Amino acid sequence: MVLRIRQLGVARLGVVLVLALTVGVQAQNAGQESTLLSRIRRLTVEGRRSGEGYWAPDGKSLVFQSEREPGNPFYQIYTLDLATGDTTRVSPGYGKTTCAFIRPGSDQILFASTHHDPKSKQYQQEELDFRASGKERRYSWDYDTEYDIYARAGRTGALTRLTNVRGYDAEASYSPDGQWIVFTSMRDAYNRALSPAEQKQVALDPSYFGEIYIMRADGSGQKRLTSVPGYDGGPFFSPDGTRIVWRRFDEQGLIANVWTMKLDGTDQRQITNFGSMSWAPYIHPSGAYILFASNKLGFENFELYMTDIEGTKEPVRVTYSDGFDGLPVPSPDGRRLTWTSTRSGGSEGQIFLAEWNHQAALAALKAAPPRTNPPAR
Amino acid sequence: MTQRLLLFVAAALLMAAPAFTQTPPPSKTRAHVEVLASDRLEGRMAGSPGERLAGDYIAAQLARIGARPLPGHRDMFESFEFTAGSHDGGSRLSIAVGGGPGLDFDVPEVQALSFSDDGDVSGPVVFAGYGLVVPESQGYAYDSYATLDVKDKVVVVLRYFPEDADQPTRAILARYSDLRYKAMAARQRGARAIIVVTGPRSPNAGLTIPMSFDTAIAGSGIPALSMTGAVADALFAGAARRAGTAVPSLRDIQQQLDSGNPHVAGFTLPGITVTLKAAVIRERQRARNVVAYLPAAGGTSRLTKPWVAIGAHYDHLGRGGLGSSLASKEEAGGIHHGADDNASGTAATLAIAQTLSKEKHRRNVLIALWSAEEIGLIGSNAFITTPPVPLDQIAAYVNFDMVGRMQNNRLVVEATGTSPVWSRVLERANVAAGFDLILQPDPYQPTDVASFNQAGVVSLSFTTGSHADYHKPSDTADKIDYEDLDRIADLASAIVRSIADTDAAPAFTKVDQPTTTRSSLAGVRVTTGTIPDYATEVKGLLLGGVTGGGPAEKAGLTKGDIVIEIAGQTIANIYDYTYALELLKIDVPVKVVYLRGAERRETMLTPAARR
Repeated sequence: MVLRIRQLGVARLGVVLVLALTVGVQAQNAGQESTLLSRIRRLTVEGRRSGEGYWAPDGKSLVFQSEREPGNPFYQIYTLDLATGDTTRVSPGYGKTTCAFIRPGSDQILFASTHHDPKSKQYQQEELDFRASGKERRYSWDYDTEYDIYARAGRTGALTRLTNVRGYDAEASYSPDGQWIVFTSMRDAYNRALSPAEQKQVALDPSYFGEIYIMRADGSGQKRLTSVPGYDGGPFFSPDGTRIVWRRFDEQGLIANVWTMKLDGTDQRQITNFGSMSWAPYIHPSGAYILFASNKLGFENFELYMTDIEGTKEPVRVTYSDGFDGLPVPSPDGRRLTWTSTRSGGSEGQIFLAEWNHQAALAALKAAPPRTNPPAR
Repeated sequence: MTQRLLLFVAAALLMAAPAFTQTPPPSKTRAHVEVLASDRLEGRMAGSPGERLAGDYIAAQLARIGARPLPGHRDMFESFEFTAGSHDGGSRLSIAVGGGPGLDFDVPEVQALSFSDDGDVSGPVVFAGYGLVVPESQGYAYDSYATLDVKDKVVVVLRYFPEDADQPTRAILARYSDLRYKAMAARQRGARAIIVVTGPRSPNAGLTIPMSFDTAIAGSGIPALSMTGAVADALFAGAARRAGTAVPSLRDIQQQLDSGNPHVAGFTLPGITVTLKAAVIRERQRARNVVAYLPAAGGTSRLTKPWVAIGAHYDHLGRGGLGSSLASKEEAGGIHHGADDNASGTAATLAIAQTLSKEKHRRNVLIALWSAEEIGLIGSNAFITTPPVPLDQIAAYVNFDMVGRMQNNRLVVEATGTSPVWSRVLERANVAAGFDLILQPDPYQPTDVASFNQAGVVSLSFTTGSHADYHKPSDTADKIDYEDLDRIADLASAIVRSIADTDAAPAFTKVDQPTTTRSSLAGVRVTTGTIPDYATEVKGLLLGGVTGGGPAEKAGLTKGDIVIEIAGQTIANIYDYTYALELLKIDVPVKVVYLRGAERRETMLTPAARR
């Protein structure tokens, strides 16, 4: 590397000269992460941002969402073949989509989409114009009432619409046997007469009405499992298919905790109690612990944590990196982890992949002290 | 000594190892690095015998894998001429008061500036303060020549910029204080010559200015000298004597100017005539790029851009005599081995060429190993200036510079902004390779990729970043991480392969040069002894290390600290830091606020003079 190239007007070299510029020295924190995570790598590169990477049951591919479709500023759904690096779009390409999941024992992939909305292309243009204007808005997830859950057949590409009601239906995932789907719906805000206070709440933030639902894989038998004010969302089945893990926000939408319950909605148990935003839980395939994200250390500094399945021990911190680390998803064999992070810079997340040290995780949990403030049972 | 002993022991152990020990597959890069970084090649300084040996080795390796000289070329060597250094060729200054006899000075009391034109000049003298011309900006303008007529006169100016100006003013002035810029300002106003003196109130007070290594061939269009404080005193004393006034001290004159008040003007030195000679001897040498290619498997007529190029510079610093060495006093003069910089990149390029030579590809693969990179990207610029292959036929150029010191699986990819294809190509290739990629869209990097970007060629550059041995004799082959170097070669092979076999050539995107890097840092004279970590993005300046015995170390700062405020300036990034440096004064302690882990701490740091 040249030290000075003044004639090119490149001033970095001035920096080099003065500061002995250094690239690539590791952050101090890398050592702390390496107990559990190794060979950390950035998996997605293309597009403005990517996230929500979920494993195929065979561990050979991922499904994820990414803002990379030309002409569409919103997320679309892609699969990533981990052998070849090939990515393939599996969603319609227009409208908004989110939260995909691959069906065990099948070639189906589910995701939420608004492409049936006649206005979806108009919204794309409006968003593109807004971004071109250089204005910025604070990040907030868009609870478009048109979101419905679709299942796409791998071979034919045919889409089956599984939900069809007004209100955001999304955040869906299959049971390990592929026969059931848990999901989040805000339909409760639109299917009944609301009090004036509730009407105000819908206008302000409809996620207050988010509740957990379960249905069969063909969309039949839709049944509500939660009924507590505040946003209940992000549900996944436990590896043995007997419980659901999800996160529950308080009414103000500021504090969230990880909960588990039976498939019929009974035996609801609060697992975490940080007093911060603890969310995006996912149970490790061993069934022994739950990975989740929390901003315990600072409002915008989300880190990954893990807690034993009953929440009896103090949660163990997993990541040590500035910015956002969230949405952890262990591989089916439990030896790798994907998550969404801003650790490579900028404010937009990308998907990262690392080797996961399960034995070290068990040891760390075993060594963790008992909970100092267990949630009330 | 200890190290050699250790190596010997290690070698003995290896030999003693039982035959059934499992051996890893042989490295594709190790042998190349070990040869190039060996003592025999003496640091591969451009134009030196060591560089010649290195070029011969590279050409032999390329021939061995079946690469050929470019069509129409007899061999793989592309030689070019460059300025290898400069020294004074007998500059002189004679000061005559009235019609009296001259007071004569020569080297070392006067000395040409490295960019001076040769010439013999005589004329009256005007003192033009700091010789600064700052265009009206940010509500502030400064013109040392506003009230002066310097046409056909010899201009005397102070080095640097007003010492006592407030910080925002210093920040503005610093950007215009480069000596080339001052010489240009004098020339544009009709001056016959410019003489620079370092004022008594400035760092390096009274010293002439070293003839820094300057590879630009063109002079500044004006004879330019520096003189000692004693010569300047003689000049001002002569003028006072002639005018019958008290002899002013240069210190007093400088002090008035040092407020930064733009209305403090220079003046003519009455009755003084100087006669001067400026002479610079520039040493011209020849160096060689090694350029070869792997022919495409079939016809390339259907392809708009039938070439894809890979390359790395193979030259280094020799024994570090030319100023960019960071060797400590104890190491000075030793062979700078340059194993990472850039035997590693050369080895990666050869390994990729070897891999691709066994495959069939639709584009010709051009392989270029540059010389004279360390002294200003001269080899790659020579290629761009007289391209042996039309540049508009090159689909992309992939560069490697310091790729042998991987840490935490991090691979920095620079110039990704030069084409929209890179994000997809990198994502796909990296799924198998598995690096923690750090993307830097900026192609204005201090490596050969800058030459190609300026020529409008889509480019990409890989680096594993700097380290404590950067530009020191201790950058040796035993410290290279060969396993990861091989992985980088594999990743890059996949990338080059995809460009070589895709019909459409990548589209070129012009990346605007960041405004923050446009400013000249010529005015920065202080060092804080910090080594920033460029690869990790944090809010603030993450320290990758501190230089031993430097101001930062003395202030208690250490690797891993994040500087968030210095001298009242908040630091969000490296650019803020660079900018803040301009405002620091040597030996004036400033408060530094930093984070160590989650803890916020403060310390006082005393900047030191650079050199």
